[in-house]
Amino acid sequence: MATPSLLLYIDRSLFARRVKDSRPVEQRDPGWKLFGKVPPREGPIKDPKRIQKEYETKSGRAGPGNPTSPRHSVRKNLDFEPLSTTALILEDRPANLPAKPAEEAQKHRQQYEEMVAQAKKRELKEAQKRKKQLEDRCKLEESIGTAAQIWNQEILPNWSTTCTSRRVRDLWWQGIPPSVRGKVWSLAVGNELNITHELYSICLARAKEKWSTTPAPSLETEAEDAGSSNRESSLELIKLDISRTFPQLCIFQQGGPYHDVLHSILGAYTCYRPDVGYVQGMSFIAAVLILNLDTADAFIAFANLLNKPCQMAFFRVDHSLMLTYFAAFEVFFEENLPKLFAHFQKNNLTPDIYLIDWIFTLYSKSLPLDLACRVWDVFCRDNEEFLFRTGLGLLRLYQDVLTTMDFIHMAQFLTRLPELIPAEQLFQHIAAIHMTSRNRKWAQVLQALQKDPERGSPVLKR
Amino acid sequence: MAGGSVFECKEYLFKVLVIGELGVGKTSIIKRYVHQLFSQHYRATIGVDFALKVINWDSKTLVRLQLWDIAGQERFGNMTRVYYKEAVGAFVVFDVTRGSTFEAVSKWKHDLDSKVKLANGNPIPSVLLANKCDQKKESSNNTALMDNFCKETGFLGWFETSAKDNINVDEAARFLVENILANDKGLPYEESNGDRIKLDQETVAAESKSGCC
Repeated sequence: MATPSLLLYIDRSLFARRVKDSRPVEQRDPGWKLFGKVPPREGPIKDPKRIQKEYETKSGRAGPGNPTSPRHSVRKNLDFEPLSTTALILEDRPANLPAKPAEEAQKHRQQYEEMVAQAKKRELKEAQKRKKQLEDRCKLEESIGTAAQIWNQEILPNWSTTCTSRRVRDLWWQGIPPSVRGKVWSLAVGNELNITHELYSICLARAKEKWSTTPAPSLETEAEDAGSSNRESSLELIKLDISRTFPQLCIFQQGGPYHDVLHSILGAYTCYRPDVGYVQGMSFIAAVLILNLDTADAFIAFANLLNKPCQMAFFRVDHSLMLTYFAAFEVFFEENLPKLFAHFQKNNLTPDIYLIDWIFTLYSKSLPLDLACRVWDVFCRDNEEFLFRTGLGLLRLYQDVLTTMDFIHMAQFLTRLPELIPAEQLFQHIAAIHMTSRNRKWAQVLQALQKDPERGSPVLKR
Repeated sequence: MAGGSVFECKEYLFKVLVIGELGVGKTSIIKRYVHQLFSQHYRATIGVDFALKVINWDSKTLVRLQLWDIAGQERFGNMTRVYYKEAVGAFVVFDVTRGSTFEAVSKWKHDLDSKVKLANGNPIPSVLLANKCDQKKESSNNTALMDNFCKETGFLGWFETSAKDNINVDEAARFLVENILANDKGLPYEESNGDRIKLDQETVAAESKSGCC
């Protein structure tokens, strides 16, 4: 075989050799075909062993092969194999057509080589980019792995002594590895309420009892008891909201793997704290906990989280206390971002408009989930102060674009933040927010405002 | 005349509320109206969400509708009702498949009328939306009943809507805007209007960006 056909193939194109070997001589002239569109060609089905052998032969790992074949020299020049979608194969004309003249064949071969060279160049670039991405990811995974080891072996076993150390605080800021996240959250949130797994079971059993005694909502029965002033039927609201909790993840919806778990935790909570009941926003918080903890532990963290002063103020919808929080936020807003603050004031954009969603859901609705979890990490460390600091960090991050907007566009922007938020950048901006105002810390500012509500935000006094 | 631009095009900015019980489809109606989209996957609204719809009403009139999509849970009441102020129109939405949401309509309407009024002291124009009509089980004809209900509670009218199948959403909005415009005639809008135009020009660039979703 003096002129073996020119075949550019990827490693997986196992037919090459067989095609060449079994082809009658008169079919040797090349033609064009796009690799992706070639249907599997003639020939009997090959057994895997033979394929393996052929592969080894081709790749020069076994057997003598054919070292002088131009196919091999082409391959040697290629650092990166073309992708299957771009690989072009110089093919013979079908047997039933006359062969190409040598001149034309030569021309085609030349064109072919040019095209391949171009594709190669492009793919080389892409491959370098991919390599860089892969390296970055490996680096990230490695650092997460290392961090997980440190958390597991050094920090967690000695939690009470290590958790306040400088080193741990720094590691904490960088984000807790997902594998230990739930544990760290549980420890940091604590269990002041002394809730046990048994208590959770009891609350859940009670909730289930209620569900079974409430008749399935039908048009008629509902219409009749509707006027009841019974503090909103929590159970119905929970049902409505569960399917609207992280709908894009498709795991909390009816039939999804976590639907019942979310339902159980929220239901159990309404029995644990009937005075609070179910309030919108809770479903998002419970969902994030479920993603990181076992059910009973998620419930314990949930109840303790909601028991924090800021969360209690919001979920009990203590209006005046909420306004105090907003006013404290505005103190630090003005201090840190005076220009933007003035712009907001000019446009009558008050913090309640965007903070309600952020605080009620602890950013889990407004930020991408992985980023929200990082905010939760530090929230567990620094408490409510960090929620408001994060809000200021967000405003700082988007300061430039916000100052070009009017009320409605700002309100839209802040209640629907961009889908891609650069995590490192956001955390840099959060870090740049100073949580001291005239030598007073967050808690002191808040306390002063609480004592003297008249000093609250003039904007918020309505 | 204030509000008229160099092209003698009159611009209006109207704040319109969308209220009603939790899960009746307020967000869906707005998304349908503003973005011509429907999804089963909207997230619960916490607090308030916003949308802006710009309508070329006629060759001489441009209307900007600021839609305030207010969370439906009763508990948020005290907090979200500060958002009512300066509204000039409202949709009250209920879900035809859940009777309780209709029962709550009068409560929402009463609330609305007690919190916000037109400059002349009249209640702001409001339209009742019977949403999810695509899921209605029986095709009972209660038009007369509903007409009567609207008259009694002070709604301008009502529409059976479906955000999912795009039924009557545009029609209802058109009906409300017509009424808002009718109210606007003779009402002085001067100071705020001049301000508005300036702001709008500043944000033309931002407009196209926020339009997509």
